[in-house]
Amino acid sequence: MSFCNKNLTPLQRRTMQLMGGVMLLTVVTNLSTPSLANPLVDVFPWLSRLTTQGGHASALVVGTLSAFAVLPVLLAVWVAGRYLKAEPDEFVRTLVVRALLWGFAVTMAGNAVAGVFMNVYLRPFPLTVLNADLFFVATGIAFRLIQWSYR
Amino acid sequence: MKNSLRVLRAERGWSQADLAEKLGVSRQSVNAIETGRFDPSLPLAFKLAKLFELSIESIFEE
Repeated sequence: MSFCNKNLTPLQRRTMQLMGGVMLLTVVTNLSTPSLANPLVDVFPWLSRLTTQGGHASALVVGTLSAFAVLPVLLAVWVAGRYLKAEPDEFVRTLVVRALLWGFAVTMAGNAVAGVFMNVYLRPFPLTVLNADLFFVATGIAFRLIQWSYR
Repeated sequence: MKNSLRVLRAERGWSQADLAEKLGVSRQSVNAIETGRFDPSLPLAFKLAKLFELSIESIFEE
């Protein structure tokens, strides 16, 4: 089994399409974070006023941005849960669960490191806004490595 | 868990892919079970027993 397009079951193909959409949404939420150096803020400087750093943001704006940032995480868990519930092959389910665990582990470890940096240097550390990206990359790499170990 | 899956499969002239298709799992699942790196769940063990017309105990041993 290799997870290339020709070997995917319809369920796996659909799941990867959904997860691809979630990853794209992650990129969009990253671009909407004015505290990161990103092209959107260069093109639309008023974006930086949306956070409390640049100006006076209303509770509604802060709440909306927060909800927007949480979306990729919730959607990713939903897509993964939907897949695990429907996948009939228990061995593949085991591999996916192990990869997801590694993804969570790496993300939480990254957050721990970011927390230390924030406490030591007393300023925000942008890594936390890249949590979802870190999770997806770590899970993908973990899945490939686990799959390779069973070759 | 040790098992005699490889022998049983070979007796019937089935490839791992053939057995995987009959069980509704991936070829890698069959390979992992045969090499003892993965133990099947009870439903899958029952499926195997039914497919080979043997008891679970005669296919798998501790």
